[in-house]
Amino acid sequence: MKSPLRFAAALLIAATVVSCSSDADVVLYCALDQVHAESLIARFEQETGLTVRAEFDVEANKTIGLVSRIRAESAATRCDVFWNNEIANTVALGDEGLLAPYASPSAKDIPAQFRSKDDLWTGFAARARILIVNTDLADPSEIHGMADLIDPKWAGKAGMARPLTGTTLTHATALYSVLGEDAAREYLQTVKRLNDEGKLSLTSGNATLMKQVSTGQIAFGWTDTDDFNVALEKGEPVAAVYPDQNGVGTMVIPNSVSMIKNAPHEDAAKRLIDFILSEDVERTLAFSRSAQIPVRASVERPAHVKSAADFKVMAVDFATVGAELPARHEELKTLFLD
Amino acid sequence: MSKPLVFIAFAALFVLGLLPLVMMTSGLSLGDLTALVEPRRISLLERTFALGLGAAAIALVLGLPFGFLVARTDVPGAALLRPLGAVPLFLPTLLLAVAWAPLTELRGGLAATLILGLSTFPLVALFSARAFERIDAAREEAALLAGGFMAALRMELPLVLPAALAGTSVAFAFAVNDYATPDYVSSVGPKFNVYADEVFATWGQLQEPGRALASALPLILMTLLTLIPALAMRRRGSLATLDSTFRSPAPLALGPWRLPALLFCLLPLTLGVFIPLGRMFFEAATGPALVADGSFTIPNALAALQRSFGLAIERARGDLLNSILFAVGAGLVAVPLGLIIGHAIERGSRRLGRAIEVVALIPLAMPAVLFGIGAIVLWSRPLTADLYDSPTMAVLLFAGRFLPFAVLLLAGAVAAMDRRLEEAAALVGERPARRLVTIVAPGIFGSLAGAFVLIFVFAMRELDAAILVPAANHTAMLRLFNGVHFDRDEYVAALSLLIVFTILLPGLLWTLFSRRRLAILP
Repeated sequence: MKSPLRFAAALLIAATVVSCSSDADVVLYCALDQVHAESLIARFEQETGLTVRAEFDVEANKTIGLVSRIRAESAATRCDVFWNNEIANTVALGDEGLLAPYASPSAKDIPAQFRSKDDLWTGFAARARILIVNTDLADPSEIHGMADLIDPKWAGKAGMARPLTGTTLTHATALYSVLGEDAAREYLQTVKRLNDEGKLSLTSGNATLMKQVSTGQIAFGWTDTDDFNVALEKGEPVAAVYPDQNGVGTMVIPNSVSMIKNAPHEDAAKRLIDFILSEDVERTLAFSRSAQIPVRASVERPAHVKSAADFKVMAVDFATVGAELPARHEELKTLFLD
Repeated sequence: MSKPLVFIAFAALFVLGLLPLVMMTSGLSLGDLTALVEPRRISLLERTFALGLGAAAIALVLGLPFGFLVARTDVPGAALLRPLGAVPLFLPTLLLAVAWAPLTELRGGLAATLILGLSTFPLVALFSARAFERIDAAREEAALLAGGFMAALRMELPLVLPAALAGTSVAFAFAVNDYATPDYVSSVGPKFNVYADEVFATWGQLQEPGRALASALPLILMTLLTLIPALAMRRRGSLATLDSTFRSPAPLALGPWRLPALLFCLLPLTLGVFIPLGRMFFEAATGPALVADGSFTIPNALAALQRSFGLAIERARGDLLNSILFAVGAGLVAVPLGLIIGHAIERGSRRLGRAIEVVALIPLAMPAVLFGIGAIVLWSRPLTADLYDSPTMAVLLFAGRFLPFAVLLLAGAVAAMDRRLEEAAALVGERPARRLVTIVAPGIFGSLAGAFVLIFVFAMRELDAAILVPAANHTAMLRLFNGVHFDRDEYVAALSLLIVFTILLPGLLWTLFSRRRLAILP
């Protein structure tokens, strides 16, 4: 018995010694999906010679894991750069004083609506909130916008992610200012009622919703363009409808990048932010599986990726959405979690 | 017992397992607690309670007969069925849900209850099987002589029931804490919300940590209130019939009932092991696509399998190695601590031991997300920055979270040991630490291995706490759950199978090459 115990102790000590030796030039918390971001990070490392320690969220966790972590680590910041795949939680972190200002030279041609007034964050490479339609089950030309989700004609065939996390929460929060307080509340209450009646499905996230539509369990639902593109690439029978083109328009949610307050590696963090905000990264993301929409009209993109100029974009003040997010989340939690 | 060793072990339990919770209590206010009684939360708790009861009932109905049949009868293949019966417990419940969803229209609360019942039935089966084995042959023979098979069963059931109920209680605790399964199986149709949704959603907006912690308290209490009686029942059920004159009973002959008994045993194994794993192999072989275009042949499927596994190994090799390293490290840390604490519980003051046993449950009763955030607040400091960034952090995270398995299992094993052996060693001058290593540890080696395997399995499976702590981010489970949403089905299926195989490997190796039985019950 002595030998196995000694062996175990030696193994543990060796593992501890080996494990304490890892270090990096810059620490990135990245909510963009690992499969899309890894090659870009590798390219940055190759171009600059800097090493990046990247931590990713998983789809099931949305941005929550990283945002919670940044808050919990605020006593001893370890993250330098936060690359969020949406914007509302970034704004909320800025409002809490957890971000540091940085005006990246790469951001100078990014439209003002995607930049924080005090340089706490910059938006780029957006996703649109579209309706993914299974073309075997529904004719996309018959689906026009958010009203179709609650139309009795589509009872049992439509769905959306529960608006408690990620871009769906941001989207729902934006509806309050776009539609007006009462109209947005009534719409979301109708969604909940229809779900209770089994006439509208609620998934945990957009990717799950995309799978439900792709596999024909429901006919259409709200998701993001990157999830839609995954289904398209897999050869699923799907089409995208940019909703409400005769109404409030289609919501566009950019990625956002920011430097964390008291970032341990400030200089390297700035270089990484400059890289992430470069036209080249926007172009790469447009051509990638995530099919992100460049916020700069000048950036090249493939034919299947629309430009923001190609459709009516919902007018959203992201600073307001970010500020309202905690209260709206509480309200939506009360409505959807019972 | 060596006082310095005991002190170090308890300090480690406190720091690794309890301090993460303590760190989160600073922001708690009375207002946060009063919010817990709002009707919506009570409704969620009631639904969660019902789900737990349903799953536990299924686990009992399947597990008790299964445990009896494989442990005490001549059912064909009992030696193989028994270890196979533990497998559903080791499979992530979401994998069961994902495998079953395309095969049935069943959704919502009923689907969640069935899957969680199926996933947790091994708990009841394992507890019951061991209790049935501990029925004294003399008592059973007397009952058989008096009234045959049924009389023996009537005599044995009351003796086994406490152990079976202990397993049922643990099944309940597992079911009420599951978030992913109810969510996944109600993605279509009415949403089946459970209390774990509330905990997760509240943690999602962590501007108010007090409220977030308060939201988790009902679930922690529900889990503890279930596990504490389970501990008491376990003591009564598993140890009551053992004494110095104990003789193992012979297998009972089922006669014409052998085939129906075999079919009964195969039912949960088919639903919980063969079909889910078979479905994964089918998907890894691109079966759905091959069937759709009419090109499904064995050579095509084998070629596809080769490609899928090649891709999974190529992409996930590093993460799999990390997972194994973290899980082995957690086992190496937690098992010696569990041995010292478990021994102190059983050989020290009885009342204090019982109290410590309950306290030791807390890390397991905490929602994983709470444990993860608490660990961040505890360790993310300038003084411990290097440790926090290193893989050692992942080892300590998993060791702290799963230390209760080692403590409870090894306390149970020590309780079943004859203390006179230790007393004799003490009389000849052996020091306490040496007695622990030379007398106790060899005597409960099967339980030490069982504790290691349990910790390995649950550390390999862990997702929610791992997702939060940076050092634990690069694991196979995280890669899998990213892949579930964005990668091709055959790659995800192959990666799932690789993870399942890795999870089962230590137990499999032990079963194949060790003469001793792997003891994974307290």
